[in-house]
Amino acid sequence: MNQRAVNPITLEVVRNAIFAIAEEMSAVVMRSARSPLLKEAGDLSSALTDARGRLIAQGKDIPIHLGVMAFTVKEFLTRIPRRQLREGDQYYLNLPEVGGNHLPDVKAIRPVFAAGRLVAFAISLAHWADIGGAVPGSYVPWATEAYQEGLRIPPIRVFTRKGAEPSAMEFILGNLRGREEREGDLLAQYAANEVAARRLGELFERYGVRTVLACFDRFRAESEAQMRAAIRAIPPGSYEGEDWVDDDGIEDRPIPVRVRVTIRGALAHLDFTGTGSQAKGPVNTTRFVACSAVYYSLKALVGPDIPANDGCYRPVRVAVPQGTVLNPSSDAPVVGGNHETSQRVVDAIFKALAPALPERITAGGPTTSGLLLFAGRRDGRWYILYEVHGGGEGAAAHRDGGHAVRVHMSNVMNTPVEVIEAEYPIEVGRHELRVGSGGAGAHCGGLGQVRAYRLLGEATLTTMLERRIVPPWGVFGGAAGLPYRITLERDGAVREVKGKETLPLRPGDLVTIESSGGGGYGAPSARPAELIENGYR
Amino acid sequence: MGLSRRIGVDVGGTFTDLVVCQEGGSALRSLKVLTTPEAPARGVLEGIRAIGPGADRIAHGTTIVTNAIIEGRGAVTALITTRHFRDVLEIARQNRSDLYRLDLSPKPPPPIPRRFRFEVTERVAADGRVVVPLVKEELPALVGALQALGVEAVAICLLHSYAAPEHEAWLKEALTHTIPYVSASHEINAEFREYERSVTTALNAMVMPLADRYLADLEASLAREGARGSLHLLQSNGGMMSAQAARRRPLAMAVSGPAGGVAASSHLARALGLRHAIAFDMGGTTTDVCLIADGVAQTLPQRRLGGHPIRLPSLAVESIGAGGGSIIWLDSAGALKVGPRSAGARPGPACYGLGGEAATITDAHVVAGTLRPDALLGESIRVERGRAEAALVPLAARVGLPLAEAAAGALEVANAAMLRAIRLISVQRGFDLRDFVLIAYGGAGPLHAGRLARELGMRRVIVPAHAGVFSALGCVVTDLAYDRVQTYRASLGAMTSEDLNRRFLPLDAAVAEPLGAEGYGLDAITLAPSLDLRYLGQNYELEVPWRGDLNVLRRDFEALHTRLYAYATGEAIECVNLRVRALVATGEVRLPEWTGSGTGQPFSEHRAYFPETGVTSLPVYRRDDLALEQPLKGPALVEDPWATTLIYPGQRGQRDRFGNVHIEISP
Repeated sequence: MNQRAVNPITLEVVRNAIFAIAEEMSAVVMRSARSPLLKEAGDLSSALTDARGRLIAQGKDIPIHLGVMAFTVKEFLTRIPRRQLREGDQYYLNLPEVGGNHLPDVKAIRPVFAAGRLVAFAISLAHWADIGGAVPGSYVPWATEAYQEGLRIPPIRVFTRKGAEPSAMEFILGNLRGREEREGDLLAQYAANEVAARRLGELFERYGVRTVLACFDRFRAESEAQMRAAIRAIPPGSYEGEDWVDDDGIEDRPIPVRVRVTIRGALAHLDFTGTGSQAKGPVNTTRFVACSAVYYSLKALVGPDIPANDGCYRPVRVAVPQGTVLNPSSDAPVVGGNHETSQRVVDAIFKALAPALPERITAGGPTTSGLLLFAGRRDGRWYILYEVHGGGEGAAAHRDGGHAVRVHMSNVMNTPVEVIEAEYPIEVGRHELRVGSGGAGAHCGGLGQVRAYRLLGEATLTTMLERRIVPPWGVFGGAAGLPYRITLERDGAVREVKGKETLPLRPGDLVTIESSGGGGYGAPSARPAELIENGYR
Repeated sequence: MGLSRRIGVDVGGTFTDLVVCQEGGSALRSLKVLTTPEAPARGVLEGIRAIGPGADRIAHGTTIVTNAIIEGRGAVTALITTRHFRDVLEIARQNRSDLYRLDLSPKPPPPIPRRFRFEVTERVAADGRVVVPLVKEELPALVGALQALGVEAVAICLLHSYAAPEHEAWLKEALTHTIPYVSASHEINAEFREYERSVTTALNAMVMPLADRYLADLEASLAREGARGSLHLLQSNGGMMSAQAARRRPLAMAVSGPAGGVAASSHLARALGLRHAIAFDMGGTTTDVCLIADGVAQTLPQRRLGGHPIRLPSLAVESIGAGGGSIIWLDSAGALKVGPRSAGARPGPACYGLGGEAATITDAHVVAGTLRPDALLGESIRVERGRAEAALVPLAARVGLPLAEAAAGALEVANAAMLRAIRLISVQRGFDLRDFVLIAYGGAGPLHAGRLARELGMRRVIVPAHAGVFSALGCVVTDLAYDRVQTYRASLGAMTSEDLNRRFLPLDAAVAEPLGAEGYGLDAITLAPSLDLRYLGQNYELEVPWRGDLNVLRRDFEALHTRLYAYATGEAIECVNLRVRALVATGEVRLPEWTGSGTGQPFSEHRAYFPETGVTSLPVYRRDDLALEQPLKGPALVEDPWATTLIYPGQRGQRDRFGNVHIEISP
């Protein structure tokens, strides 16, 4: 490490500058990308690393991307040797096993040179609306192989300083739906990385390579020191936790996620030995996503304000055995695991650390996307409506859980009823809190919600959600929340719909989802008398 | 109308500023009195008494609504909504406000708790078709319940009421006899997306009683003083509204705090023939920046306040927690930080000698020499260099820098945050800053502007003549501006220009109606129609002015899309909202010509430290003494009673005939 002392003023100015660069990268992608998810939901991340791929700064640290941005460039460098990299190159990739999560999240990587040497990388991640595969939108809940989920892009050079490499570009775009839109996404990421390279160049020019690199080292050292101090605040010991994925959609049995968290001084070791084997259905995920969940958990529990960079994660060791649902073979389907199984990792860690951090944890919540996907035709056009449903947050030591909200790894907004009814052949008859769904406790779990969809035309419903069988857990004597429930009412008969199912719908069908309530915290008998229920029960 | 006398009054945290001017005239007088937070109307009245109460118009900016919303103080309010939808207000958009903070509730509490939220049986479809007629027989029980709860204000927001307002209108009419304050969503914000419309209507209802009482109190007091002119209120959109309109729609004042200064900046830009400007207001605690393109300040359809979305047009002001009072500190890793904590007005910077011990940006200026200790700050405060040094010495020692370098360094750190904010509203929105002028005001703005402009590649800074009372000046120079929105979804391909003009007619009538009632003839009203457009299937909209021709509209949309997103596709475009802004020019206010004595001589000399020159000596001028277009060579200081303007080394300054100081930055 470069130990040269840096002027504290320069340090701050460089710090502001690199965060501004990451912000500007994101703004460029949001401005010029074409996929609606990027614009509305901001499903993208921008980051800078040093020449060894160590994360320096990540703009808007979205939980699911924490572990991904920490590893992508490092993994990339194990495939593409540094000596092969040239000024102006940009590589694209989406392989889950190369520091990735799932195929729609495409990463563009650009090496940055100063004074003739490789000094940094810019990396732009963006969720493309289609990445090929079996169905439009590349969301294949019944996939049993990675190949059904879309085009797999190993690190491939798409730009050099002379411009685009037509054959590489054509190979990617030729395999995807919505060619013009995807080209827009690809060029947006290219533009973001070019901006980053230019701004970094100005920074290196102005302050000198040695000084800026010394600043990078300082940022990592600061985050590492802060994370070490945060871990020290956890009582030392070994803690175990486990939770279960409902099923993989192919086989009807729960899959355990097990963790042993060992805190020794300023070090945390998380070992996932004992976690269930790789699944047939797409609830597998990658060890990088498991790391995202670990990093998220530690940040949320002990260090919300610690800047996410490589130093932040140095005191944290994560062991994920191969062949498990968290570290499957490269041909395993992963599309649902990204947003479902990652949440179960957080549950297992929170359960493990509950005795150590009783004041910090929250009880079990809606750790699922609660996804209902309606697809059909209207006026001759295909539509896909992605409906995600938050539920009751788990209670905490000092407060009740929030109602109908997204927790932990996800934070996507809902679609307004007035938008659904105007743009899709669907009527929403109810949109209200699910009274009675929260687990009782000294502090009660939050309430789930109820939404009812009346179909006006034929459509296909695909579900991909969790917490329908294994309910959100209560803690320290608090009760579990009610689990998710989906029903289909047709011609007066009601049947339950599973959490990973695809079924045809007819006009007049009523699909009702009741989302889970949060787990309670502490014994209900200890509930403070002054907490009035405000008419919720 | 003859020449009218106007008073502008802006209530700030510490001072209430007043200006008085004659329409078309050349004189402008200003005054500051202390704000009276416990009884806001009293300070206003004292100021008006002092400046002479006779006026044809009193234009007033107040933060009473802002404060009530931030502090969660509002009337006992109920919501009436469609059956099965009373929790929309609580479910919100189901996202949490902070990703990592488990100690906080994930969402702000709903403005109206559940037992105050009522449902009525009725249903309207997205196209305005009545699916279930309103069950009017439910009303007596509902009224009984509202009365039992002691409800003073009611918000009505029914599903799809923007498309068919009849049910809301009937309920409002029926409740008016028993409930003093009723706000219906189709009148406040006839726009789709039910959560945002519900919150906007609910918050409006909640602040109606307090706004009404404040205005009644103020009007009665003004009448006693013999100030018989009309009372106008400053809105978040940068325009004024009548007291009557403010009673119906008090929420339009919710984010009006920075609006006065931006309105004055727009007026100045137009008066000087400048196309593009950035309004830069650096106060004690925060810095507000807003982009002005073609003389018009940018607006947003929605802002957040106290965690709630407020969907009424507001100036697109970006705020950051850095100002003259921001505290300089070292974090646990030894890094030098500025803000967001502020010493505020009390105890204030250490150099004020009012009990503040922490080093602030103002102290750093005093130590670096860029603010003269004898500079008067509001005539009541005298700066003491010794106190500023004492506060900064320990910080400098800990970072291992000489005192002056540490002070200059802290200023650089503060500038870094402001650069980010200005780039965010300009470069990141597709504007080229080289075409912009930086208009700097607020206590600390004129000290920082020259440096920021250089870093941003801007060529000119203007420090306005009346920067000390700029917000109050904004109140007298800005027009009445009423906004109205109506959701209308249709593909542009399926309409004609005539169709669209017809669609605007009811909106024009609705927006002009209150103005007619206030005595303005149709010839006095300018209507500015616009549409919210998007490519078919997109989920975000861009506001594009309507110039009467669909082809022009398409071109304008694509040009705007290209500026913001760097591409246009030529695909089908759909309209989702129609908007009309009604403007009433209330008479041109010409900026008065400057009457300074113009000796051109500096009255003092001072020593300051700049990183590029080291310690250097620089002349100090009184702004009043500057001769017209007298060339000033940086470094130099120009002082007036409320702020010091700093011309940095290598920059040039001069005074124009209005008394504005221009700073030229060579690239």
